Amino acid sequence: MPTDILAHGLTKTFRTGVVAVNGFDLRVERGTVYGLIGRNGAGKTTALKILMGLLRPDRGEAKVLGRPLWEADPAHRQKVAYVSQSQQVPEWMSLGELGRYASHFYSAWRPELLQEQARRWELPLHLPISKLSGGNQRLAALAVALATRPEVLLLDEPAAGLDPVARRELNVCLVDALLRDEGCTILLSTHLLGDLERLAIHVGIMDRGRILAEGSVEDWQRTMRRVQVVFDGEAPPADFAIPGAIRSQVLGPVVTALTRVDDDAQLDGVRQLRGARVHVFPLTLEELFVDWFGGPAAAPESGEEISGQPGRSVPQPPNQRVGNGG
Amino acid sequence: MIPKLHLQLDERSGVPVYRQMMDQFKYYVAGGILRPGDQIPSIRELASALQVNPTTVVKAYTELERAGLIEKRHGKGAFVAPNARALTDAEQEEALRRSAKQLAVEATQMQVPPPKVITVVREELGALHSDRADEPVPVKFAVVGGES
Repeated sequence: MPTDILAHGLTKTFRTGVVAVNGFDLRVERGTVYGLIGRNGAGKTTALKILMGLLRPDRGEAKVLGRPLWEADPAHRQKVAYVSQSQQVPEWMSLGELGRYASHFYSAWRPELLQEQARRWELPLHLPISKLSGGNQRLAALAVALATRPEVLLLDEPAAGLDPVARRELNVCLVDALLRDEGCTILLSTHLLGDLERLAIHVGIMDRGRILAEGSVEDWQRTMRRVQVVFDGEAPPADFAIPGAIRSQVLGPVVTALTRVDDDAQLDGVRQLRGARVHVFPLTLEELFVDWFGGPAAAPESGEEISGQPGRSVPQPPNQRVGNGG
Repeated sequence: MIPKLHLQLDERSGVPVYRQMMDQFKYYVAGGILRPGDQIPSIRELASALQVNPTTVVKAYTELERAGLIEKRHGKGAFVAPNARALTDAEQEEALRRSAKQLAVEATQMQVPPPKVITVVREELGALHSDRADEPVPVKFAVVGGES
């Protein structure tokens, strides 16, 4: 499979001194869906803007369909659609006018796709976009993006501000885009991890400007577990560690760890320890994400050291690749 | 006619989505709701209805085909295979064991004594058999999986 989206060593520091993206690597193969998750301020929006060619990186390369978009010609750029977190469509135009306007710039433009989408989402074609609700403005931007029949779709929190019904509609649309004969490659950032479980093939957790961990959703669902070991007594034995633990916390005699369990037998040694009870729980993607960042109580403020937390949290090497990548 | 399938995807299960779909098809066949020769939803229908990546549906169908449960007929869609066997004894036990394990963990967490757990299970089984003697095996609910 060709790589449709590629970033290597991307770095971007803003004039304010904020390092938004720092050694960002990414590879998205044709026809797949890649979900970018991370806390606010992790750099997701900046990374997407660089890929879209709206920002130039200080270092590194960013290619979509084989070329950096900031130097690509219009014929190349029109194969890629981007819907940002903030509104970008001209608000004074109606959706119908916007469609006619866009049809001049996109050779793959399909007016009937916009009509159909507008009907499905009950978007008025004749009202200025500024008169629509925030959620509907987002849907209008998406409807335009989808009608360009992009080969690559970059979405920055597309579901933010949408009600549950609209969110479902959005997901159905993305499935439709994937089902088109020509297919579609989708990179999206989101906080709605339940949707990603169904749609994404790969997920990358972004932290402080880079991918902290990356894996296939299927692999993570199969292997990532919360393992809890409860010891009799007041504390676990000295130098006790759960095999495969990615992140551990100790509370009295209870050790809880986000753990990669490839084979249940890897925990047999722990089960045989005297006075140890082992519990293994499956995790939703959302729980996995929370556990990765130290659990709700220990969640660090953005910008704070994550791996070197005080207490007995176990530091992890940065930028580990977890899983076989499918 | 394509029967109405109610596939339920459970994000808490720790089981990959394609496997959950496969398991539920198997339960449908085991429960007699899907019979040999029945048409099943197309990949397109199922992906849209469940908002699942089509690749995942393809994977589930491919595995089901390999397991001899369904067959694709060119240009007509996918059907339950004529000699589709419901769960093998081993598969049945595996499915049962998965649920039992979850129950055991939760009971231990709540410090319920084992005899009580067994009593509760026995009572639940009894209740099912008394009021639903003639009904088919109850299957999971929600999300309509597409119909023509």
